[in-house]
Order: sequence, then C-alpha cells, then structure tokens
Amino acid sequence: MNYIILIFFIFIIYSLASALYYMMKDGGGSKRMVKALTLRVGISILLFLFILFSFWMGWIKPAGVA
Amino acid sequence: MSTTTTDLQDEIDTHASHDDHHHGPEKGLMRWVKTTNHKDIGTLYIWFAFTMLLIGGAMAMYIRAELFQPGMQFFDPQFFNQMTTLHGLIMVFGAIMPAFVGLANWQIPLMIGAKDMALPRMNNWSFWILPFAGAMLLSTLFMEGGAPAFGWTFYAPLSTTFAPDSTDFFIFAIHMLGFSSIMGAINVIATIMNMRAPDMKLMDMPLFVWTWFITAFLLIAAMPVLAGAVTMMLTDRNFGTSFFDAAGGGDPVMFQHIFWFFGHPEVYIMILPAFGIVSQIIPTFARKPLFGYSSMVYATASIALLSFVVWGHHMFLAGMPIGGQLYFMYATILISVPTGVKVFNWITTMWRGSMSFETPMLWAVAFVILFTIGGFSGLMLGIAPADIQYQDTYFVVAHFHYVLVTGALFSIIAAVFYWLPKWCGRMYNEKLAKVHFWWAVISVNVLFFPQHFLGLAGMPRRIPDYSLQFADFNMISSIGGFAFGASFILLTYIIVDCIRNGKPVNGRVWESAKGLEWSVDSPAPYHTFDTPPTRKQILEETSHIGH
Amino acid sequence: MQSRSDYFVPDGSYWPILGSIGMAALLGGFAASLHDSLVGTISMILGFGIIIFMLFGWIGQVINESETGTYNLQVDKSFRIGMGWFIFSEVMFFAAFFGALFYARQLSVPWLAGEGNNFWTGENLWPEFKSVWPLIKMPDTTNFTVPKGIIEAWEIPAINTLTLLTSGATLTYAHWSLMDENRSGLIGGLIATIILGVIFLGLQAFEYIEAYQHLDLKLTSGIYGSTFFMLTGFHGLHVTLGTIMLIVILMRAIRGHFKKDRHFGFEAVAWYWHFVDVVWLGLFIVVYWL
Repeated sequence: MNYIILIFFIFIIYSLASALYYMMKDGGGSKRMVKALTLRVGISILLFLFILFSFWMGWIKPAGVA
Repeated sequence: MSTTTTDLQDEIDTHASHDDHHHGPEKGLMRWVKTTNHKDIGTLYIWFAFTMLLIGGAMAMYIRAELFQPGMQFFDPQFFNQMTTLHGLIMVFGAIMPAFVGLANWQIPLMIGAKDMALPRMNNWSFWILPFAGAMLLSTLFMEGGAPAFGWTFYAPLSTTFAPDSTDFFIFAIHMLGFSSIMGAINVIATIMNMRAPDMKLMDMPLFVWTWFITAFLLIAAMPVLAGAVTMMLTDRNFGTSFFDAAGGGDPVMFQHIFWFFGHPEVYIMILPAFGIVSQIIPTFARKPLFGYSSMVYATASIALLSFVVWGHHMFLAGMPIGGQLYFMYATILISVPTGVKVFNWITTMWRGSMSFETPMLWAVAFVILFTIGGFSGLMLGIAPADIQYQDTYFVVAHFHYVLVTGALFSIIAAVFYWLPKWCGRMYNEKLAKVHFWWAVISVNVLFFPQHFLGLAGMPRRIPDYSLQFADFNMISSIGGFAFGASFILLTYIIVDCIRNGKPVNGRVWESAKGLEWSVDSPAPYHTFDTPPTRKQILEETSHIGH
Repeated sequence: MQSRSDYFVPDGSYWPILGSIGMAALLGGFAASLHDSLVGTISMILGFGIIIFMLFGWIGQVINESETGTYNLQVDKSFRIGMGWFIFSEVMFFAAFFGALFYARQLSVPWLAGEGNNFWTGENLWPEFKSVWPLIKMPDTTNFTVPKGIIEAWEIPAINTLTLLTSGATLTYAHWSLMDENRSGLIGGLIATIILGVIFLGLQAFEYIEAYQHLDLKLTSGIYGSTFFMLTGFHGLHVTLGTIMLIVILMRAIRGHFKKDRHFGFEAVAWYWHFVDVVWLGLFIVVYWL
C-alpha cells in the first residue's frame, strides 16, 4: 500500500516540477503551467480519497500510540 | 583605495558616450553602498575576501606560533581552539567563497557579453549581507565564554551541549552567509541562462563560466542543507529538541551526515571555479586552444553530481556499517576519473605549446602540480581501511590545505593577476610579482609538506601541544608559515602599486588571450555590452570552436 | 502600454543595505535575547520592523516598475529563473528536516534499541529502551517531556489536508479565470484561497495548543516532538508567508494588475502555494500515517 501512495506522490511531484519548468521556460501566455498545476491538484485529491478509502477498507491505519 | 578606482572610472565615463539612463558611477561612499553595477559589486566582493583572508591568515600565524615548539607558549588551549575554528570558518565562508563570487561578478557578464548581472539589486544585497555576517562571526571572539571552539565542522554535541553562548551568534552568521551565497548563486544562474549574448550557445561559453554555472547549482542544493543543520543546532541548544541527542532518540552522528551532505559539495564549490580559472589561463600562455573542451564540461558536471553521494568518506570512523564504508570508498575514488580528465587536459593543452611564463601562468602551473598532490593525498584518505590511520591527523590538515591553499587560493591569485590589468587598466610589476610567486610557492610547501609526515607519524590535528618527536617538522612548518604569511604583505604592495602606478595597458592585455572580456577596453568601461556581441565576434574570441 | 526594449538595470538602491541592517539586527538580537538580553529583544523587534519595511518598499518598487512597463520580457524571464531556483533551495531546506525524520525513524531509534550490530549499544546505554514509532518513550526521559499521545491523523490533520487541497483547487480556478480574462473569477478564487489558508493556520494553531496543553506533546518530547514540530512549524511558516503573498496578489488583482499573458507575480505566488500544499501532503503521509 505504501508503494501505491509513493507512486501517487511521485506523479504529484512530477506535475508540480513540470509546472515550475513551464513557469521558467514559457512566458505568461502559455497554458502549460496552469494545466500542470490542475493535474497536480487533481492527483492530490485522488490520493487523499485513496487514503480515505484504504483506511475505510482497513488496508492502512494511521500512526498512533499502540 | 576606493578613491583611485573611482577617479579611474570617472575618467572612463567622461570619455565614453552614453544614452540617457547610462550615467557613470555616483560619487563618494554611497556609490558602493547603493551600487547595482556588477563591476562595483565584484570589486567589493574581492576586497572583502582579501580583508577576510588577512584576518584568517593572522589567526593562522597565531596557530603556527603556538605550534613552533612543543609545550604551551602563548595561548591557553581554549583560545587556540577558537583560533583553529574561526580560521577555518573565515577562510571558507569569508575568503574563498566571496572571492570566487567576486570574480564571477566581474567576469561572467564580460565573458558572455551581458550588460550586467540578471538581478542587479539582489546582487547588491548578496554582497552587503557579508560584512554584517562577518562582523557577527568575529564579534564572538569578544563575548563572554569566548568564540566557538569546536572546529569549523562544529560537530554535535561539542557545538550543542558543550558550546559557549556565542555559538548562537555563530549560527545566525552562518544563516546569513548561506542566504547570501544562495542569492549569489541564483543570480549567476539567471545571468548565464538569460543574459548570454543571443548568439552564444552553451557549448560556446568559456570554461570559467561553465564551472561557475555548475558551482551555482551546487550552492543552491547544498547551502540550504547547512541552514537546516544549524537550525537544528539552534533548537537543540535553546528549545529542547533532541535531533543530536541520543537520550531523546536522536543521534550526534546524524549531525555529521547532514553537515557533510552540505560539506562535501562545499569542497567542490571551492574548487570548480578554480578549475575554470586555470582552464582560462593555460590556453592563453600556451598559445593553444584548450584541449578537450567538451570533456572538461562533462567532467565538471560529473564531479558535481558525484559530490552529492560521497559525503560518508568524512565519517569512516564515526560508526558506519561495512557496506556503507565500501560504497563511500568506491564512490569517492570514482571522482578521481573526471578530475584526472581535467589534469590531463591541462597538461595536453601545454604539450607542444609556445609557452611563456608570465605571473598568472606561473600560478596556474603551480596550481596544476600542487593541487594534484592534494588530490593524491585525498585518494589516500578516501581508502576506508587506510583512513583509520590518517583520520584526524595532520595528514588531513596537509591534504585540505593543499587543495584549498595551493588549489583554490592559488587559482584566485592567478585570476587576480590575469584580470587585474583588465579591471584597472594598468599592469602590475612583473618582476616583483615573480619574486612574490617564488617566495610564496616555496614557503607554502615548506609550510604544508612536512605536515604530511607529521600526520603519518600520528600527530593529531586541533591540538595546541604535542610530543617531542614532532618538534622538528613543526618548527619547519611554522617557519614556512611565517614566510608564506609575510608574502601577502608583498602581494598587497604589488596590487596597490599596480592600481596606483602601473603602466596603462590596452584592451587585449595578453597578446594571445581569447575571450569577449579582452574585446573591451582596459580598464573595462563602467557599462559594457549594451549591445550584445555578434556571432562573428563570439567566434573570433572563442578558441575552442571554429577550428 | 509599451514596455521598454532594452534590459532594465536599476539605479543604485538603498533597499538592500536596509535589508542587511534589518537582518543583522533581527538575528543578532534574537541570539542575544536567547541569553536574556533585553537590548537583544528590542533589537530583534526593530530588525523585524526594518525587514518588513524593506520588503514592502522593495517589492512595491518592483511592482511599480513592472506596471509602468520598465521590464521587458527578458527581465520577466530573469525573475522566473530566480524564483524557480529559490524554490529549489527551499526544497533542499525541507529535505534536511525530512532527512532527519527518516534517519531517526529508520536508523538512530532502532540502533539505540540494539538493532543490527548495535547490540551492546542498546545493552550498555539504555537496556529498557524499545524501538517504536511514534517514539513516545525516549531512551532517557529525565530531560524530556513524555507525551500522553500524539495528534490523531483523522482529526484536525485530515481536515487541514482537505482545507489545503481545496485551496489548491480554488487557486487553480483563479488561475484559469486569469487565463480566460474573467476578473471576478480571479478575485473570487483568490479570496477563497486566502480564507482557506487562514482556516488552515487557525486549525494548526489550535492543534499546537491541544498538543501542548492536553497531550504534553512538545518540542522537548524527544525526536518525535522535535521532528513533528520543526516540520509542521516550518511548513506553517511557509503557509503564513504564502498567505501574505496571496493577499498582495489579491490587492494587485483588484487594482487591475496582471494580464492574460503577463502575470508572473501571480504565477510565482501560485506555484509557491502549490509547493507548500504538496509539502503538507508529504507531511500528512509521513508524519501522521506511515
């Protein structure tokens, strides 16, 4: 399960980093940056829902005092 | 000092014609405080670095005086430790790094045909943080409990549990120095990426520019980690956290990991620009294009990348699994491949060249030879089983002084002699400069070479007293140290004499020098390259392409 | 408005030296105040004031220059590169603290309990010590506060994650509105983002108070407390900065700044906000979950 979360996270960082790259590379006119950022918000929400779902399914449990 | 330069630059400005917004420098002290001109800021950086070099050098003289003979001579051990600590910190953060940033400020815009640095106001700020940070660092000497005395690597718990109160000032001085370096590095990157003459491709750039470009990335990646390390130190000292305290679940060795994750790239931050300088000077005086330009670029980049994965070789004896020791040993020794490429390229550039040995060339050749000695002792230290013997001895001291003094510092001196005529429009006294060179190069070897023997015989570093069998070599080393220290008096004279009384030179100071910086007048006008150079000009001024 | 054609090199400026003085006063004063110096505390407050004044003055001047067409596209690009690499340095700063967290969890805590070839370390130092994470009972509790519990992931942290994620969405809405020249959408999106940011900060403060008062979870709670508060604390500091920057952007948007194709200030702050958002997501996962 940790690996799935990790993969999600890698995608988030990738889209965030590509937004930064487009910000540096393109001028203001290009839509690549805002698209990458939209993607990053989308995946983040998916990840949050996934964590929610795995918790509900009992696949993961939060860190806590045992 | 400053008045002379001001007069000079005023003179230039009355000669040159400028359009509306291009007025010359302001008058008086405020010019230097407010300036956004890359040449002014470069000058400020270099003078600041030189001042710090003399202060740090004075501390080295104290150290060598105490070590002249066994037994306690002049200082108590606590003060001795403060001297070794501050000497290291001031030389690394106050002298070598600012000197390179100063050279970058002066030269990079000139060498890539840019009118100034990309972010001029921020450029001013990166410099003007330094005097405040330097003053804060030095002020710790006068505080109750004395200055930090835990060595320039400030390992926990010496720097947390057992350190004097002044350590908190040291921490914030490091924060400020780091902030300044990061801003300086961002500026270098933005300048090279964005201000380059439109017709200059990346692989057309002179090597000094390339090496600084790569160094700037190292700075941006490494300095924040140092900031993190000192921040953890600050909270461990004052707010009860336990990052470096095993009783709370932390680990003092973790400090070493974080510190050296910064510290090893830092080593290359201090040597890559030196590689660049030498790669500029040797082709000029060998009258041949640099051998293997692109391999030099790739070698620099691979050294930079490798520098992030070898930090453990500083901690072989700090407690590390055998697998870790093996990995760090092999990775470290891998770095000698790209470094070897560089050394061979410099030698091959000189091979069958029509060489002449003006002062910059002497320093550059001395760099190649003596830096290589430092590199070899580095290889010895990188071998984990052998390092058990060398760890924390004078062998380490000898090693890093060979790479930092006869490496980094020599390259800076070479660069100053090479470009000083361009900066002030006057030639230094070649005869005196040669006397100074031989004086310095002989004394520096008398100073540091015996330290190899001391280390191999087992003399520990950072101690004010030692057993009798180390007496002879220590005395020789101290004599060399005093002679080397005195050589800087002559250096100061040569530079001041050059700026005041030197014979005027034309734009191309060295007849076979190539590079855009030589296509402008000497002294370089206050504003250069308002219109970027053409492709034709760039090709004419680049020795490694178009042949 | 026609922007000037050549690269703008500003005249001399007093802002940098003012910033240096402020920074030296702030940090030097802070160091002195740590050793009970009243002068130090005063200097710290003064320095903070100077820095705020400097930031408003400097950035105000930049905005003014930008709006009067002083910057051409090349200057714009320099700002983009500068911001990009500044963010990278921030990433590395956080990396140091994440590194400390992983090191403690994976290495130093297990080692202290005798894992690997450290049997005698455990046996000789603290034989009673057991390696668990979250580390509630540190090896030697005399100098540290043993917490009664830790912050549960399903309470405020989850709400906060949702808050920040929503703020990312509203900011993206503002971004698209800007691209589509929908001024009211831009302003509305920004206002929503700022409100969510403030809610986040409020909840975070509440969580800290809760930790200190009811759970005895403090900075002094061993390596768990250290990493927890330093990571979330520095993150909170960045959210604070981001919120302030968003407010500046909102003011500019209301005044009619930013065009469809020239809005670097907006892009930089937006990216910063997304970055802070992702750092939080990372924190949520590694601090509260895994």
